[in-house]
Amino acid sequence: MRGEGLSVDHVTKRFGSGDAEVVAVRDVSLEVAPGEVVLIMGPSGSGKTTLLLMLGALLKPTEGSIMLDCLELSALSEGKLPDVRLRHFGFIFQDFNLLSALNVQDNVSIAAELMGISRKEARKRAASLLTELGLGRRLRFSPEKLSGGEKQRVAIARALINDPALILADEPTANLDSSHGHETMRLLREIAKTRSRSVVIVSHDQRIRDIADRVLWLEDGQFKEAVIMAVDPVCGMAVEGRKAVSAEWDGVTFYFCSNGCRQEFLSSPAEFIESSAVTSKGLA
Amino acid sequence: MFRLAIANLVQNKTRLLISVGGVALALTLVLFFRAVFDGAEGRLTVYIDRAGADVWVSQEGVRTMHMSESALPASVAEEVRAVPGVEEAVPILYTEGMIEANGSDYIVYLFGVPVGAPLGGPSLVSESAPEPQSGQIVIDHAVASEAGLGLGDQVTALGQQLTIAGLTSGTSSLVSSVSFVSMEDFAAVRGGGDVVSFVLVKIEQGESPAAISSRIAETVPGVTVQTSPEFASQERKLVKDMSADIITIMNTAGYLTGLAVVALTIYIATVGRRREYGVLKAMGVRNSRLYWIVLVQALLTVGIGLLAGLGLTLLLSAVIPSFNELIVLSVSMNSLVRVTAVSAIIACISALLPARQLAGLEPVAIIRRG
Repeated sequence: MRGEGLSVDHVTKRFGSGDAEVVAVRDVSLEVAPGEVVLIMGPSGSGKTTLLLMLGALLKPTEGSIMLDCLELSALSEGKLPDVRLRHFGFIFQDFNLLSALNVQDNVSIAAELMGISRKEARKRAASLLTELGLGRRLRFSPEKLSGGEKQRVAIARALINDPALILADEPTANLDSSHGHETMRLLREIAKTRSRSVVIVSHDQRIRDIADRVLWLEDGQFKEAVIMAVDPVCGMAVEGRKAVSAEWDGVTFYFCSNGCRQEFLSSPAEFIESSAVTSKGLA
Repeated sequence: MFRLAIANLVQNKTRLLISVGGVALALTLVLFFRAVFDGAEGRLTVYIDRAGADVWVSQEGVRTMHMSESALPASVAEEVRAVPGVEEAVPILYTEGMIEANGSDYIVYLFGVPVGAPLGGPSLVSESAPEPQSGQIVIDHAVASEAGLGLGDQVTALGQQLTIAGLTSGTSSLVSSVSFVSMEDFAAVRGGGDVVSFVLVKIEQGESPAAISSRIAETVPGVTVQTSPEFASQERKLVKDMSADIITIMNTAGYLTGLAVVALTIYIATVGRRREYGVLKAMGVRNSRLYWIVLVQALLTVGIGLLAGLGLTLLLSAVIPSFNELIVLSVSMNSLVRVTAVSAIIACISALLPARQLAGLEPVAIIRRG
């Protein structure tokens, strides 16, 4: 069994000061249990990546605390953070970010070697993990010879090899087609459930909502209640259904941030209907 | 991390080739120039080394052949010969000058040696007479070859037409060579035989050159006495001092070229992998480990370049003398150690700039689509 998971308590992140101050994340609290998959969504500039960076001990919060398995990340000195990141976190990036000079197996084993594990043992673990993820025949391949889905699986193996408590994924499906994106998310869910890891995913991708245990909507640096939120099918902004401008089309109610978006939608509903239908289903 | 450093280095083979090639050429420049200088320096004292003298006697205060003029009364030879422990004392005349051979001028160290002298004469490789008689000259084989002359041909030296009576080997360098004429001809040009340049001394078996030197200095007034190694050492020191600035400028140019090539290559390679290094930092890799990667790459680049440069220099030192006998290249261990040490420093300096880049690299910026 793993520990107590992730606990974020009233975290705020400010950049700049005075008139130039920007509050990227405002008084956010969050609990992620071991084995839970949390998807954080929201429009661009909403503070998703800033929050993810704080969860990954890459940024320090201005206020509040972040605990991972009883370890208070926000209280650690800068000098201790690299080791903490190495031992407690697995990062998965949008652009895969594999090391182009190393082959698939070495891309994964290097993370274990950095932990002090012998090269032989690290390579053995990497081979086993990659085989488990369906890449057993690609161990000697250069990353550039892999498909996007395969690259992301290598990145997942790299994130997993040190047995981290928390896996953080930043737009993991953004560079994948629908099928590979779904496969990646299914894999992340399976890892969370079978290995009892906490998984936090930041994404714009509406297609991956199904695999999350919880979907949180971040906007203007704050979580908004998902149950009362809807997504404007035109601009993608989250809006509170009861306060928003609405319109009905084909028996479904759509919510908009403004009359402008509503009019744009009504001029050509079919153009927006498919994504909004998915959104409404997820948020309703 | 070492594996990553190697993999990063060899991934772009063209860049590696350019980098190593640049370093190799720059260091070849340094090694080659040094080898030419060392080769010339070795030939500089060839006469002193081969003359067969244990002790050299010169005018008081004169410690070198170059950049000085030694004039001793001819009677000094007799005085030296009378010193206990001295087996032979041979007076010679010496000057730096030119010989004209087949329309070309060649700088020579010209020696006038008494006929039949047991030391101080030329070591001949080919001859028509055992030593230069009046009206004859012995010149270096390489000079004769370059001028297209041989035994029996005429050259002009000391304002006289002289016949080549013999050829020596290994007495030429890029800038000059050694030639011998008879003492009689040399003295005639000088206006008489009562002045000599040096007295070469052969000591008796079992005697010490240093002890005999002291004894001569105490016995014979107005002279400076040095053992042969001391005299040769003074000669080399003088020439080194004279050429130190040129050597320093050439070496600095070579080293700076090497530094620029390595620094630029490592910097470009590091900046090109900025994102990958940022990801490593995000994963928890410390700056010190990233510096290590850059340093290993710089050291390997310079190391391979140094080996290639050394190979090229050795090749040149084997090939060039077969085209031009006047150029002698000598790659010394001292020179190798010095170039290796400076190369290591170059590698470390080259790694400094990329290291600063890495230190300032924020993984946050990379993850935010940096």
